[in-house]
Amino acid sequence: MNDVLVGRALVKRFGQTVALGGVDIAVRAGEAVAIMGPSGSGKSTLLHCLAGIMRPDEGEVHLLGQRIDAMGERKRSALRRTRFGFVFQFGQLLPELPAEENVALPLMLGGVSRQQAVRQAREWFAPLGLPGMETRRPGELSGGQAQRVAIARALVTRPAVVFADEPTGALDQRTGQDTMRLLVEATRHNDASLIVVTHDPNVAAWCDRTVEVRDGHLVTMSGATA
Amino acid sequence: MNLDLTWRLLKGGGRKGLLGVWLTLGAVAVSTALLLFAVAANLAFDARAERGAWRNPVPVAKDAAAKDAVAVEASRFDYVRDRAITVVDLAALRPDAAPPPGLPRFPKPGETWLSPALAELARELLPAELGDRYPRPAGVLGDEALVYPGELVAVVGHAPDAPAMTAERSDDWIVGKPPVRVASLAGTPSEDAEAYKVLAVIASVLMVVPLLVFGGAAARLTVARRDRRLAALRLVGATPGQVVRMTVAEAVLVALAGALVGAVAFALAVPLLTLIEIQGGAWFAGDLFPGLAVLAGVLVAVPLLVGLSAVAGLRRVVVSPLGVAKRETPPGMRFVRVLALLAVLAAFPMLTQGTSVAIVAVALGLAFLCLNLAGPWVVGLIGRITAGTARGPARLLAGRRLVDDPRSAWRTVSGVALTGFVAGFLGLLSPGAFAQADGPPQLRVLAPAGQAEQVAGQARERLAAAKVPAVVTVVKRTVVAAPSGPLDAAAMDRARTALAGLVPGRTPTTEADERGFGDQLLADVRVGTIVVLSVSFLVAIASAGITAASSVLDRRQTYGLLRLAGTPLEVLDRARRAETLIPLGVMGGGAILVGAFCATPFMIGGVSVAGVVTLVVCVVLGFAGVIGAGALSRPLLRSVTADPAPRPD
Repeated sequence: MNDVLVGRALVKRFGQTVALGGVDIAVRAGEAVAIMGPSGSGKSTLLHCLAGIMRPDEGEVHLLGQRIDAMGERKRSALRRTRFGFVFQFGQLLPELPAEENVALPLMLGGVSRQQAVRQAREWFAPLGLPGMETRRPGELSGGQAQRVAIARALVTRPAVVFADEPTGALDQRTGQDTMRLLVEATRHNDASLIVVTHDPNVAAWCDRTVEVRDGHLVTMSGATA
Repeated sequence: MNLDLTWRLLKGGGRKGLLGVWLTLGAVAVSTALLLFAVAANLAFDARAERGAWRNPVPVAKDAAAKDAVAVEASRFDYVRDRAITVVDLAALRPDAAPPPGLPRFPKPGETWLSPALAELARELLPAELGDRYPRPAGVLGDEALVYPGELVAVVGHAPDAPAMTAERSDDWIVGKPPVRVASLAGTPSEDAEAYKVLAVIASVLMVVPLLVFGGAAARLTVARRDRRLAALRLVGATPGQVVRMTVAEAVLVALAGALVGAVAFALAVPLLTLIEIQGGAWFAGDLFPGLAVLAGVLVAVPLLVGLSAVAGLRRVVVSPLGVAKRETPPGMRFVRVLALLAVLAAFPMLTQGTSVAIVAVALGLAFLCLNLAGPWVVGLIGRITAGTARGPARLLAGRRLVDDPRSAWRTVSGVALTGFVAGFLGLLSPGAFAQADGPPQLRVLAPAGQAEQVAGQARERLAAAKVPAVVTVVKRTVVAAPSGPLDAAAMDRARTALAGLVPGRTPTTEADERGFGDQLLADVRVGTIVVLSVSFLVAIASAGITAASSVLDRRQTYGLLRLAGTPLEVLDRARRAETLIPLGVMGGGAILVGAFCATPFMIGGVSVAGVVTLVVCVVLGFAGVIGAGALSRPLLRSVTADPAPRPD
């Protein structure tokens, strides 16, 4: 049993709307899973429940055998900071900080000295095709470059799981493909699992398997089975 | 069409958007109320000066003396229970002489008209303590004759040839006015009334500049919230004109509502403001109501200024729509801002006490504005130093934000920095260390030449009759009566009453009486300082609170994503605090020094302890206020980051 992240019978309601109607999902170590589905199907809610951002109304979430949905906000916050990485569609980089400090920030939040954190951060720039971009501010980067900085930031703490919510949503197809390739490769290279929420089959194709959410339920699966 | 769209966007801004509108509205309301106060204070001093003018006669031209003069007028000060009474001696030269303000007719010889407060006091005290000093009371003076409610005034009627109207008097304006022939009783505002008007103008400049900065900040707050939306409108093809019109319409709409609220708040505060004692008394409520024209002017000017400020804030969006949408590196501040401040500071020592008040007021205003210009540059510098030396994430974030937008950081601390300037300026200026130890009180009166001994004899008789044991001596021409027994306020007033009219046109006074005017002026400067500082503080704290809240609103997406990625709320809050506190410490301190520097040419009698204490209290209160106001937005920070994933999908 090498499941890293497991969600069991997850239920989440927003008022009268049932966003998740009892979802079971398991993600193995180093596995890349795409969560697909139309708008409003509950795929982002599933991601937020799995990442400890949101508490499910019913069901359980386990990370490496430890139940995380019952933890208090402070503990879940620390968990997100140390064990998870996040890549969003846009807006996750702090506009005031140069790229290298954006990447170093999670390390500094974890208590690493600034010098050490920036040194570690810089090591990510060349492999992700960002040489010379270290001191640029997010406003001076292209969309694809900014997403690669975000990938570096998600991975710099060596997390167990990286969550990506429409990571290529704001990019053109070619840049999106490049970004996905880098995201999957870098995640795999770091032995982290990857959970990608997307409605784009081209993005999902980069993953080991795809699960589809419709009306709050997992309806189909492709690729390797859980 | 634009207005319609603006209104819909304003209404549809959501809860957070509406909160921003409320913040702007509140800021404008506070600004308007305080602006009205600053304007009303000036008008109120004008009104006092005008109402007191009739007691400060203008002599008729010498060549016209005979035919134009209608009356003889003189004034002096008397004292009861250590309070000054203004005594005006009047004699009509023509039967048709117009009465002074507040009197139904010209006072006849041998009658007295008392102000309501003096009439009340005359009823309370024994005649030997007060009433016997003046002829029989014929009536009560109307408010038009009084500088402030509760003022002690006596108008005494005489015949033109009465000794009181012909005897030589001192021409020292502090002691009174010698008898002069006048063509009318309109008079002219007295020197001290003019001095108070000048002080009021200086106080207003000190209050209004931070208010303008604050109002401007409030306007830009509206724009900051709308930045992204307006940039989006530009991107979809709205013309610069349309964007400007929409923003101005929105800012003006909100500002007008704020100005109305501020005017109502001011009107409600007037009863409290009338209690502030200056020149020895409180205020008529009517003096503090600025009048409809001024009110209308402020209600038009405030939204207009807010609109203009909004346009200035919009320049970046209009010039480059991507500038706001993409957040490029902001252009560096120019050092010329600091040069401007240094130039004004270099010029300041050249001003002396002899320089005209208008120039001093302008120089003060300039120093103030230049401090405001140099502020963002210094904040940027502080940011670079902070970011360069930061070890933890909070200070790093704070430093980078200061570099990113020094103007907005300056807006947060500008209030306290400018208050620091006021505190530094007034702290040194208010001379508080003039208290002198009084010996036993001695009543002194200057006798006519060659009559000192005779007057001394009369004084002895009168004091004995009044049962006030006293030693009466003559020093040159001055008769000095030193009461020898235990002396309470009643006995002192009996002695004053006994000696009243001893020398026609002169009042026996003590050293303390004569110093009273200087003490009054110092006390008033201190009251004025406290008023100005209170206003500046109110502005500073309101400004800090509003800016902190709006900064949370503006960055809610970033804050939300940071929390989502596991950043503890404390780190965000620490960064926010550092972002305010670091520039606050440096700029607040710097501004106090600049203020103190500007005050040095005007310092009277060295550094005042009271001033320095006031300054320290101000700094402590100001810092505490700003930190407190910033802390108030913590729940807002918690609420905007509490649910980092509000979308169901």
